[in-house]
Amino acid sequence: MSMPAGHKLPCTAGIGLRAAHYREVLETLPGVGWVEVHSENFFGGGAPLHTLLRVREHYPVSLHGVGLGLASATPLDRQHLSALRSLCDAVQPAAVSEHLCWNSAAGLVINDLLPFPYTEAALSRVAIRVDQVQEKLGRRLLLENLSSYLAFPRSEMSEGEFLAELVRRTGCGILFDVENLYVNTRNLGVDAAAFIRALPAEAVQEYHLAGYSVRDGCLVDTHDHPVYPEVWELYERVLQQLGPRPTLIEWDSDIPLLPVLLGEAAKAQQRMEECHACLA
Amino acid sequence: MPVLHDDLAGLALAIARGEDLPLRIDADYVNYPAAVALEVYRNNYRGNLHAALAGAYPVVEQLVGEAFFRRLTRAYIACHPSRSGNLHDYGDDMAQFIAAFEPARALAYLADVAALEWACHRAYFAGDAGTLDVVALARLPHERYPELVFHMHQACSLLHSRYPVAAIWQVHQAAMPDDCSIDLDNGPCHALVLRRDDAVGVVELPAADAAWLQLMHAGMPLGAAVAAVLEHHPDFDFQAALTNLVGQGVLAGFTLETTI
Repeated sequence: MSMPAGHKLPCTAGIGLRAAHYREVLETLPGVGWVEVHSENFFGGGAPLHTLLRVREHYPVSLHGVGLGLASATPLDRQHLSALRSLCDAVQPAAVSEHLCWNSAAGLVINDLLPFPYTEAALSRVAIRVDQVQEKLGRRLLLENLSSYLAFPRSEMSEGEFLAELVRRTGCGILFDVENLYVNTRNLGVDAAAFIRALPAEAVQEYHLAGYSVRDGCLVDTHDHPVYPEVWELYERVLQQLGPRPTLIEWDSDIPLLPVLLGEAAKAQQRMEECHACLA
Repeated sequence: MPVLHDDLAGLALAIARGEDLPLRIDADYVNYPAAVALEVYRNNYRGNLHAALAGAYPVVEQLVGEAFFRRLTRAYIACHPSRSGNLHDYGDDMAQFIAAFEPARALAYLADVAALEWACHRAYFAGDAGTLDVVALARLPHERYPELVFHMHQACSLLHSRYPVAAIWQVHQAAMPDDCSIDLDNGPCHALVLRRDDAVGVVELPAADAAWLQLMHAGMPLGAAVAAVLEHHPDFDFQAALTNLVGQGVLAGFTLETTI
């Protein structure tokens, strides 16, 4: 079996690949640069992995984890990490990412991406875990900034500063979710310009784009809409300031027909090319 | 870092158990109060677990309807916090929960359907197994056959029910016509869950075949297992059972019982 080069994501637009589109993607092989999947959907090595390996014959794959909870109050789940390692061995992904969040405390697992106070103490604990994961996987991990609906008065630094320091301590990379930043500016009053300035540009390896929804005044990161114009604008600013990077369209709920998803990816691709042209 | 632990534990309990808002979060945001943020997280929590259950139990949902299923999952989620960062692990206690769920008491078969669906869910994610080496099997001297121990593919499992759950499962698959009716008195049923070409399926086995497979799966060698089945099922057709199970990819390998 021949696989496309797996060591690096191409600097093009990609799509989040979900079960609803597996068959159509394999039958039509749409012209998209790469795909990203949720790691946990392929744990165990059974039927889903067979499908992913067929996809992998045609596209570079990025593995995006939603369940490791690196900032949790409980120890790292070794079984989860081992399953991720096995998946990496099988798929030879071009990128592996996780979220800067927690999901486990008080004997409970909350299957969501939860925020925490950005403190020196939290930084130490997350850095140790990022080291553990990178050691186990034998590769660089990308950490994604979070969309958050609440904040902690005890935070000692901004999320951007936290990520920058995490990069300095662990050598990890950053998956910059532009929509998450937009949601945080609207919900929490986060300063987008300051966030972007705080990030070490060379560590930023990937962008995410998605649509949100609004509940009682709160923007919720539901990934169930096209990318909104305000998020495209912010993306254009990010492209100018940090440069083009592999960019993913995420759509996880009310998943549209494949051509709609590909259309969104084409919009990102066009903006990347315009940016390349103006940087040239 | 006790303070961090307290913050996270307080928030986890507020989300999953509906406890009061933890004190150490900002009270107000640009366009909403903290109570709205907490409600968003509570909705996400329940919504993600509900989606996981709907993914694992599609036939149960079809049988009881969306509204009743939502009531069932809400009750289940309230009693069963998630224990894994992998949502596909969530929902393993549903059959037992349904068996004790008062509003579902009239649907006596529902718990067994749930048990069958969980087996199907696990079968989908189960790792691969080898295929039976029929050449090596054919080379084996006949006198050693009684020592054979066959291994069931790890995606396969057997389930016994007083109700015709295999038929119930089958008529709720997408390819089946709408107007199927099933006589609930057509039980009991020995349902075999299997995976072929990445598709999970359920087939019904004759009682003798199921008894034999169960004994083999428990590690009993062929000679003793066939003898035990023949005691209760004198017309057990071993050759037919073996051919059927090999053909369906249920037997993934064999070893010889080590003589002690």
